[in-house]
Order: sequence, then C-alpha cells, then structure tokens
Amino acid sequence: MSSAEFAQIAVNAILLSGILALVALGFSLVWGIMNIVNLAHGAFVVLGAYFTFYLNELAGVDPFVSIPLSMVTLFIIGFIVQRVLINQVVRAPLLATFLLTFGLEILIVNLVNYFFKADLRSVTTRYSGTGWTVGVVRVPYIRLAALGIALVLVALTAWFLRATRQGRAIRATGMDIDAARLTGVKVGTIYSLTYAIGAALAGAAGSLLSMIVPFDPNIGGPYTQRAFVISVLGGLGEVANVVLGALLYAFVDVFVGARLPELSQAFTFAALVILLVLRPEGIAGKKFYA
Amino acid sequence: MVASGGNGTAEVLLEARQISKRFGGLAALQGIDLKIFRGEILGVIGPNGAGKTTFVNCISGLDKPTSGEILFKGVDITKMPSYAIGRLGLARTFQVVKPLKQLTVRDNVAVGAMFGAKGATRTTAQARAYAEEILERIGLQHRQGHKAAELTLPDLKRLELAKALAMNPELLFLDEVMAGLNQTEIERAMELIRGVNRSGITLFVIEHVMKAIMGISDRVVVLHFGKKIAEGNPQEVIEKPEVVEAYLGERFAKRVRGERKSP
Amino acid sequence: MPERKLSRRQVIAAASILVLLVALLFVPKFRSEYELLNYTRFLILALMAQGWNLIGGYTGYAAFGNVAFFGIGAYTTGLLMISKWAVPFFPAMFCGAILAALVAVVIGLPVLRLKGHYFAIATLGVAEATREIADTWDSVTQGSTGIDLPVRSEGEFFYYSALALVVLGVIATALLVRSKLGYAWVAIREDQDAARMLGINTTPLKVLAFALSAVFAALAGGLTAYQNIHVTPGDFFKLEYTLQMIIATIIGGTGTIFGPVLGAGVYQLLSTYVWTKFIELHPTVLGLIIIFFIIFAPRGLMSLVSEGLKVVRGQKRFRWQGLLANVRAHRVT
Repeated sequence: MSSAEFAQIAVNAILLSGILALVALGFSLVWGIMNIVNLAHGAFVVLGAYFTFYLNELAGVDPFVSIPLSMVTLFIIGFIVQRVLINQVVRAPLLATFLLTFGLEILIVNLVNYFFKADLRSVTTRYSGTGWTVGVVRVPYIRLAALGIALVLVALTAWFLRATRQGRAIRATGMDIDAARLTGVKVGTIYSLTYAIGAALAGAAGSLLSMIVPFDPNIGGPYTQRAFVISVLGGLGEVANVVLGALLYAFVDVFVGARLPELSQAFTFAALVILLVLRPEGIAGKKFYA
Repeated sequence: MVASGGNGTAEVLLEARQISKRFGGLAALQGIDLKIFRGEILGVIGPNGAGKTTFVNCISGLDKPTSGEILFKGVDITKMPSYAIGRLGLARTFQVVKPLKQLTVRDNVAVGAMFGAKGATRTTAQARAYAEEILERIGLQHRQGHKAAELTLPDLKRLELAKALAMNPELLFLDEVMAGLNQTEIERAMELIRGVNRSGITLFVIEHVMKAIMGISDRVVVLHFGKKIAEGNPQEVIEKPEVVEAYLGERFAKRVRGERKSP
Repeated sequence: MPERKLSRRQVIAAASILVLLVALLFVPKFRSEYELLNYTRFLILALMAQGWNLIGGYTGYAAFGNVAFFGIGAYTTGLLMISKWAVPFFPAMFCGAILAALVAVVIGLPVLRLKGHYFAIATLGVAEATREIADTWDSVTQGSTGIDLPVRSEGEFFYYSALALVVLGVIATALLVRSKLGYAWVAIREDQDAARMLGINTTPLKVLAFALSAVFAALAGGLTAYQNIHVTPGDFFKLEYTLQMIIATIIGGTGTIFGPVLGAGVYQLLSTYVWTKFIELHPTVLGLIIIFFIIFAPRGLMSLVSEGLKVVRGQKRFRWQGLLANVRAHRVT
C-alpha cells in the first residue's frame, strides 16, 4: 500500500465513522436501556434510505432537507412498533425479544423488497461527486457533510440524555426500572420514547447513507451487525464511547476490507468473540448510560 | 457439641487464611482468617454490606478471592471450580433464592442428589426417591409435584435448604434462610437447623434474626466493613462495644453506654 | 406418584404416536412425487429442530448459527461422495455429522462462555463466517460455483431416510432428557450459578449439547445435499435455515420431546400453503408467524395441547384471557 492509498483509506474511515456512530448509538441506547438487542434496527436504516430516495425522486426534495422528515417518520414508526409489538414481551426471556425483532426485520425488508424492488439505488444531486482535494487525498463534500450532521445528531442525543427531564428519565429507567417507576416515571412511555429515538437515529443514518453509497433493501442486516459490534466495543455506557467504538470499527473494517474483502465477516466475528471472551463487558466497560 | 471457641483439639473442617476480595476500588473483604470446626454451628452476623455473602461466594467458588487461601478437609480449594467444591462436600443456599423454576420441587432437589457428593452412586430414580425423603424431612413433601415457580417465599427458602441437603454435604452454608419468615416459621426453621446439625452436618449460618442466631450458634463471628471484628461465645461477642457500635451505629451505642452509666 | 405403571393417558399417547408413525410409513404410497418432497422437507426440518431443541430448548442457549453445521454436513457428505474414494452416501453423511460435532466443540468452548445476547450474536457471526470460508476456499469447496453430487432421484429413498432419522432423533431426545444429562441441561437453562453449586460441571455438558445439536443439523444437511444434488454456500449456509429450525421448535414447544416434530409439521403446512399463494411475500408471512407465536404462544402448541386437555377433562375452565397470559407477564406499563 502506498502512503497516498493509506492516507485515503484513513480519511475514508474517519468519514464513515460518523454514520456508523449514528447507527450504533440508537442500537446501543435500546440495548442499554431496555435490554433488547433490536435486530430490526437495520431495517429502520433501510426505511430511512428509501424515504429520502423517494422524496428526492418523486418530489425533488433535497436529501439533506429530508433528514428531519425521515427522523420524524421513523420516530413515529418506532414508537408504534414498540407500543404495539415489542412492549408486549419486553420482559420475556431473551429468545423472545431476539426473535420478535428478527421477525420484524424479515417482514420490513421483505415488504420494502416487494414494493420498491431489490434494485440498487442511490440519491444523486447536482453536488454529488464534488469534493475537496487535499494533496493526494480526496474528500467528497457529501461525505464531509454527512460526518458533520451525524456528529451533531450524536451530540444532540448526548445532550438530550444528560440535560432534559425526559432524557434523565430514560437513563433512570435503564439503571433501575422499579426505582424509576417508584419516582413517578411512566416507564412504558419511556420505553416507547427510547425505542422511537433509536429508530429516528437509524432513519437519519439511512438518509445520510442513501446519498453516499448505493443501497438495496438487504443492507439492513449488515448494519445491525455493525451496530452490535460497535456497541460491544464501546460498552453500553456512554455516548462518547459509542463514537470511539465506531471509529475503531471503521478503521478495522476499512483496512481489513482493503486486504481481505471476502473474509471481512469471518475476521470481524473472530475478533469479536475473542474480545467478548476476554472482556465480556466490552472495552469501555461501564453500563447503562449512567 | 464437639467444638467451642479456641478448642485446639477439635478437627478443623475448613480454614480460610487471609481472604481478601476487591471489586474495583472497593475492598469487600480484608484479610479474613476463619476456622470452622467439624460438627459445630458457626453463626455469622454483621450489618448489611459487611461482606458476609461475598465471603460465602469466595469459599463456595462462585467468586474467586483476590488473595488468601481456603482449605477444606485439608484440600486447597481456593482455585477450584464451584461444582468440584460442591462434590467435595460443601453446599450452600442463596440469599436471593435460585430455584430451577420450570422443574418440579422434587426434581429441583433430585438435581442436588444426582450431582452432589454422593451423586455418582445414584441413578435418576434413586435420586428422585432420595429427594422425596429430603422433602419429607424439610416438611415440603406436599409441594413436591408443583413447579418451583409456583412456590411462596418461605417455601422457596426451604427448597434452597432441601437442594443443598440433597448434595450430602459435610459443610453447609446457610445464607439468610430465615429472612422474611414470621415468628412461628422462625421457630420451626431453628428446630430444622438444629436437626440438620445433629445429623452430622457442620453449619455456617448467616442470619439477621438476632434471636435465632443466638439461639442456635455454638460460636459467633462478626464481620464489619469486610473485617472480622469479633469471634467467640455468642453472649460475650454481642456485648463487645465494637460489635454494638457496628450494629447499632456509633450514636446509638454511645447512648446505650450513657444509659448504663446513669443510675 | 405411581410412575412405573402406565396410566390411561400414557397408553393413549403411545397409541396415537404409533398410529401417526404407521400413517407416515404409508405416505409414499398415496402421495405424488412432488407432494412427497414437501413431506421430506417437513422431516428434515423436524430433524434440525430436534437438534436445536437440545441446545436452545433444553440447555437454554439461543444458538443462532446452527446452519453452519447444516452446511458442514452438506459439504462433507458431498465432497466425500465425489472424492477419489467415492464414499457411499450413509458413511459420508455420518462423517459429516462427526466433523460438525468436532467443529461445534472447537467453537463451543469459547462461545459457550458468553451469555445471552452475546452468545446469540456470536453464533450468528460464526455461521456467517463459515459461509464466507466456504465461499472463499476454492480449492476444496469450488467457491460460489458449488459442487455437484451423484444423482439419485427416488423420492422414497430420501423420505424414508429422513423418517428413520427423525424417529431415531425422538428416541435419542427422550433417552437423553430423562438421563442425568437432561436434568443437568435444564438446571443450566434455569440458573447457571445454581447448577454449578449443585455440583454440575457446566462447560463440558453445554458443549455436548451444542455438539449433539450440530450432529442433527449435519445429518439434515447431508440428506438435503444428496437430494438437491447441487451444493453452494449461498444455498446451504443461509440464515433462513437457522430461523426455520428455531421457529419450528417454538411453534411446537421448546424443551419438549415432540415439540420440534409437531412444530416442523405445522411450519411446513403453513409454508407450503403460503409458498404457492404468495411467493414474493414468503418472508413477510414467516415474519408474521414468528411475531404471532412469540407474542401469543411462546410456549408452543405442546403447552396449548396440554392446557386444552385440562379444559376437556374439566380440571380448568376455558378463558380467552389465558391467551394473553404471556403478554400480561412480560409487558411493561
């Protein structure tokens, strides 16, 4: 690898990590607070991507403008999904919630396939393909903007959890649901809110992705897996750790992907299993957004 | 009773030397030395967070002590996995009960009989028969066909005891088996524990119910903030000022002392 | 309780099993070759589900990667049959089962130390990784082009082989779960710390459950490979197989002897019907089935049947609210 290639790969990793952090944050929030590994998370990313694509295609809405709309839509979908389905078994043994969200994922992805077809799509705008060239490295404007927006959303989420009444209620519920209930927190609503925020973050990530990479309905699964790995790397602790986990993952993924593209999954999971066996609580260790 | 405090001739069944346990920055146990003599009932008291359950976890292999060593029947069990310790003849109950919920009460106890100290010699049918015997002794036979998930708390506490007994232990750790019981139930439990001891099982009893512990123990050990602060004859131990202080808080202890001084 | 004497209930149960078995023996006489294929699919799914039931149902580990063993069984069977030794089918299939068991031991030793979600995802990853390896290891597996087995076209051969394996599976499961091993598995499922304190050496017993579940999956894989002739990583390592075996077990009843077989039958019925009506929406319907059973009947048909029998015998009154018992127990308000 030449040093120019190396620099480009490093830049790509940094640019990618923002979106990964966004996907993983929603996932790890739901996991940490509700103890649910939400396998439907990737499906929400897919929905976000299609939302932005069709708004652009049919109504000519600029993809960046569509991000808040996508988040609101996914927030509502997430709220309803949690209320109607997941909440019914939220405290059942792990297999139940795991399979339920798995069933949801299959259902959503199949319906998207059915209605929107499995063709590879991407959002193109007049500024697609423009970018900066710094020495030997190229930085596309869209990727840079996506990184910026992703980081702003991550920071907003962190602020929301820390500084607002609802955010504190979410963290309290994650730490001790019964104690939270005793202090008057409506934990049912808090669970729905948490899940809806997770879905909204996934939706935003999907909207951003639709501008950067070609996508089809089947990209959901791999994003769920990435979110899982990043959550493990960062521990279910703090927003900042999720960002670090995403950065670490993006570097590993980009470098391994450059050398052994066919075996990237095998490599990632071997590393994950070793990490989990050695440090079951993840690298960062702390739990529950406390 | 075979042993009383400081009796050098009695057989030492378990010896813990300088047991310490740290959780991150918290020192849960600090250099505990303890001997348990064969045949005795050793009572352990101490306020919440004194390290009683942590100590039992370290001895029973559920947790590993940060430093120190444990000898059971002369065998070093410090690094032994808990199942091997169990088969060697050391059983315990859990303060937060751990029933096998979807199994019947009889099968819960049968599992102990299958895998405990004499487990290898029993078939499943023999283990189930032995389980029924134990349940009769404990007074839980009327519940034997029920799933453990259906039991009330006092029955669950008894089930803990039955499971442990089915393992044919020589040394049994009872972690607050009387918590949540009413006065009559406590009287019954005390009788039960004495009976278990008479059948030849050495007992290490953690209990908050002061009257019970004073009534059944041959010796008493007091833990406070992970340290052993007193050991010996029950009556003498609870009159020691440091014990009164640990238990009742400094201010209250001073008041008690003050009242004693005033005529 | 008098347990050695057969009760009326047990006699009825034994008789109905016998009738069912005889009926299954005569299926090929009355069904077309095409229909027989669906019956064979049902039996192969039952076989996989029985295996999953050992690790997922009895031992309580949510294994999400059993398709790896299905694929290993398929490839080993195929590769041995087309190798220069031209190993006959049954020995080749059993070699596949043994290899799968060995792989399960090697993977299980680290992975079974993980708990809950971590175990589930790790096994999911292991399955994905085996697919990638099968896809990449051209010199052995011929990569994504796959391998072709000798052709054998009588449907009856596959049907009867699968039936024999399922019957053996039921017998093996019944013997295993009534032994000390079965008690140990359930103890591990209910509370691992309690199980250890009761003298159970959990690690080797968990690994054994995992390896046995791999044997079932590998036998199913070998049989499917021979029947399908063409084996590719894409077809034999797909996640759908793992999902099918789990959902079949849940439909029937996890941790029961007949549950996986019953569940596989119901799943195949639903699937056959749905497959012909809405080919493109097959996964949606699969998703709906999963959601329905998880919410309303997570303990499966076996428990519905036993509850129903109580109502019939007048031991219990029927209540619609009973269907919501699971939801009531696990929802948060």
